[in-house]
Amino acid sequence: MNRDGNTYDAIVIGAGHNGLVAAARLARAGRRVLVLEAGEAAGGAAATSEIVPGYAAPAVAHLVDAFPKRIERELKLPKQGLRYAARDIPTVALDPDGDHLLLPRNRREFKRFASRLPRDAEAYRNYVALLRAQAALIEPLLGETPPDLHDAGALRSLFRRLVWRSALSGRAGLQSLMRNLPESIGDRLDAEFESPLLKGALAFDATLGGAEGPYAHGTSFRAVWREALRMQGQGLRQIAGGPGALVQALAAIVSAGGGELRVNSPAARIFVENGAAAGVELADGTVLRAPLMLSAINPRITLLDLLGANRVETHEALELSRAPRPGTTAKLNLALERMPIFTGLAAEHHGARLLIAPSLDEVEEAASSCRENRLTSAPLLELHLPSLADPSLAPEGQHILSVIVHYTPYEAEGGWSMQRESFVQKVVRRIAAFAPGVEEAMIAGEILTPPDIERKYGLAGGDWHQGDLRLDHLFAFRPSPVFGRYETPVAGLYLCGAGSHPGGGVTGLPGWIAAGVAMENGEGAR
Amino acid sequence: MTPDTLPRAEEEQMDALHDTAAPANAPDPADERAEVDPALFEEEGSEPPFARAVRTTPLHLETAAESRTNRWTAWNGYTVPRVLTDLGDEYRALRGAAALMDLSPLVKYRISGRDALAYLERLCAVSVATLDIDRLRHVMFCEGSGMVLGDGLLFRLGADDYRLVTEETHLAWLIDSAEGFRVRVEDVSATLAVLSLQGPLSALLLAELGIGDAAMLEPFAARWIALGGMPVYASRSGATGDLGYELWCDAEDAPHVWRALMAKGAAFGLRPAGFALRELARLEAGYPRAGRDYLSAFAAIDPADALPPAAIWPHFVPDPAKGLFNGGTALRSMQGEAPARRLVRLAVQGLEPVRFAAISAGGAPVGLATSAGFSPALGANIALALLDERAVRSGDLSVLAERRAGLSVGESRLPARILAGPVFSHPRRFAVPAPFRP
Repeated sequence: MNRDGNTYDAIVIGAGHNGLVAAARLARAGRRVLVLEAGEAAGGAAATSEIVPGYAAPAVAHLVDAFPKRIERELKLPKQGLRYAARDIPTVALDPDGDHLLLPRNRREFKRFASRLPRDAEAYRNYVALLRAQAALIEPLLGETPPDLHDAGALRSLFRRLVWRSALSGRAGLQSLMRNLPESIGDRLDAEFESPLLKGALAFDATLGGAEGPYAHGTSFRAVWREALRMQGQGLRQIAGGPGALVQALAAIVSAGGGELRVNSPAARIFVENGAAAGVELADGTVLRAPLMLSAINPRITLLDLLGANRVETHEALELSRAPRPGTTAKLNLALERMPIFTGLAAEHHGARLLIAPSLDEVEEAASSCRENRLTSAPLLELHLPSLADPSLAPEGQHILSVIVHYTPYEAEGGWSMQRESFVQKVVRRIAAFAPGVEEAMIAGEILTPPDIERKYGLAGGDWHQGDLRLDHLFAFRPSPVFGRYETPVAGLYLCGAGSHPGGGVTGLPGWIAAGVAMENGEGAR
Repeated sequence: MTPDTLPRAEEEQMDALHDTAAPANAPDPADERAEVDPALFEEEGSEPPFARAVRTTPLHLETAAESRTNRWTAWNGYTVPRVLTDLGDEYRALRGAAALMDLSPLVKYRISGRDALAYLERLCAVSVATLDIDRLRHVMFCEGSGMVLGDGLLFRLGADDYRLVTEETHLAWLIDSAEGFRVRVEDVSATLAVLSLQGPLSALLLAELGIGDAAMLEPFAARWIALGGMPVYASRSGATGDLGYELWCDAEDAPHVWRALMAKGAAFGLRPAGFALRELARLEAGYPRAGRDYLSAFAAIDPADALPPAAIWPHFVPDPAKGLFNGGTALRSMQGEAPARRLVRLAVQGLEPVRFAAISAGGAPVGLATSAGFSPALGANIALALLDERAVRSGDLSVLAERRAGLSVGESRLPARILAGPVFSHPRRFAVPAPFRP
């Protein structure tokens, strides 16, 4: 191997967390890996960005709940300085009247929950139990390569395992899962619960990241899917130093293995020699070579733009050319000069994940505004105060408020340049309704609309989930049936981003599994 | 007709008309502003595309004038003559002198642009990279599963300019395949007419019309010629198994080309012919026709009706030097295994024309005749038939033949055999220079 030239064991395109997890896994296996990033810094949707000097906020994703322990352990991430500022973060549904609702994590909290909502308590216990039973059925599928759709034997054994697991668990898991597959979360919640606040919070969780309203078919399954993803992780956690710290830890592993990370290096072309991927040409003409390439960026861009349409058959290109629906989630990062106080919220719960989704009707209303490209005056929000558990993010006594805005249209009526200000005002006014005085405490802010996220972090359509989590886009159907197993028509080129199974969220799983598949195939070995 | 070609007298006449109609507006010689005819800017009521289900070819008036039987048929939505005079007479002209046919209903695509070659290389199952300018090649294209969608002739007109001529329409697939390529795909079927001049005297006829070096044109080559004063792109091609040329010209020019050929050719025995002769000639030459002898994979409702290229063209083998192409992955994995069914050329014993369809071996049905007819060249009934692979190897085939005499129908079982080659394939079709006498 030529160590002087631009030759590596493997090249990973895109330094988001999935690309870096793949690179780190290869580096741990002794490969010299080059990671290419088009933007100014690594991280993608898992970066930490400075709003103004001294105030660092989680740029897009703010909490992790599905980053698997085995990835953390096998990559020895704690040794690279990965620390958690908070673990097992609770979720609180904020009530406009100040009677907030903590979603219980244990017996003690359940008792309080039961006294607050006596009529829903039993139903909630059953709902969670069923959700977990259903999630437990599909959970093992998330951590592995989906079965080959053309391999009848593999499919048979998959379903046999599903049936057995269901039978052994003793609950009617599979049967109820089948019933819930096409159901909408709204119908399910309406049938089981009375409290609008509880229904709003559960519907928020099930629909976040997608454009579908709570009464859209298939949304009930998304709650199961999310629960299953959560089972991969170790509970809701906050990374010390923001999610960027995870990215740095992964990058450190890559460089420890002799590899490197190049920023401001957009790939222009993947070139092929003797039918196998041989390297990348950068936009500035630099040629970099490696026998193994993994792309963490959008599958369509990877295959049609970088690899070239003449390397993909028509039926494969057609499946990719169906444009994914754009993202519907915006991010607002606020620097506050003092601690915001939420009316009626216990002091120990200010560090919780706070949901503003007071009722199912409001969720439906926000979804329909989004469909019509309108900005609702009652936006649905997920709030988190990362500076409470991790004071290093802001100067002493000052705080960062990280806000996820659900159902934000990709194209705002009248154009985003017109609507930006009023959008921020609507969101801040909504927060102020729960935490009076927050407007006066604002000293700086950063707003990322879906088009901004697309521009700044290179996520196509500004979609965090990279081809949303619908039933027809999961497992081996992700991103499309022909590319469902990380492999591409070109030997030595793999897909390892959120566009592949199991999808979006800071899980590292697509990158982890793809790197594993590549190594199993004997790629990139010295 | 453009204004340039208007005869002088007509022009003056029109000027005179204009003068009398509007004397007040007589052009002032001092006024330098040009007189504008408002009619030039009137919108023509254009016909929406596909509004017409029954269309006529640019040569309809010419073929209609030649028709003695008034027997017409539909081909790709166009009305074309089935038989103009008598199939036997037309056949004798084709094999003994020359026949002229209107093939305008063929589907023609123009494919151009920087990536045209890369696009076609991926589209077609045979290599097209070595195709020179003014050459043509028979190509077939498959879908991802390796099943045939269609076949046709690919012409290279210029460096980045191709023409694909097919039996059926494939525009949706061609456009879908264009994703990611800088290529333009146009359906030019309506503006491009095709005349097929086939037969042993066809080179002589062109020489008589002043194109002496047409004989030097190699098979599967093409060039521009002037015929009857019209620019014509002539290719040495045709599915008759004999010497022949296909003449590609503008729809407006086609009638002039037809008349020029007929005026000169009648003395040499040139006869116009209809669709029935085209079918008989290609059956004798052993060429399958899309939609008749095989179904496009998209049209095959029963997946068993879709065929891989090797089942239709026995010599097809995926070119190992060729890169990725549509269906290539599937075809390469299929390579070596014989297709379950195959298209074969069949001859049925017996000296008179009969009708038959089902083919059996040892009493069990093993296939169907897809095209059948009585071949004067062989003096027997011949067919293209889709047969099970086992039956192809075992032989012992027979057909249930139907013989009609007046109102009575007689049925008999006739033995059939598989032919190794086409019934009619004359060596002069590849001779350079092309011979002038039969």
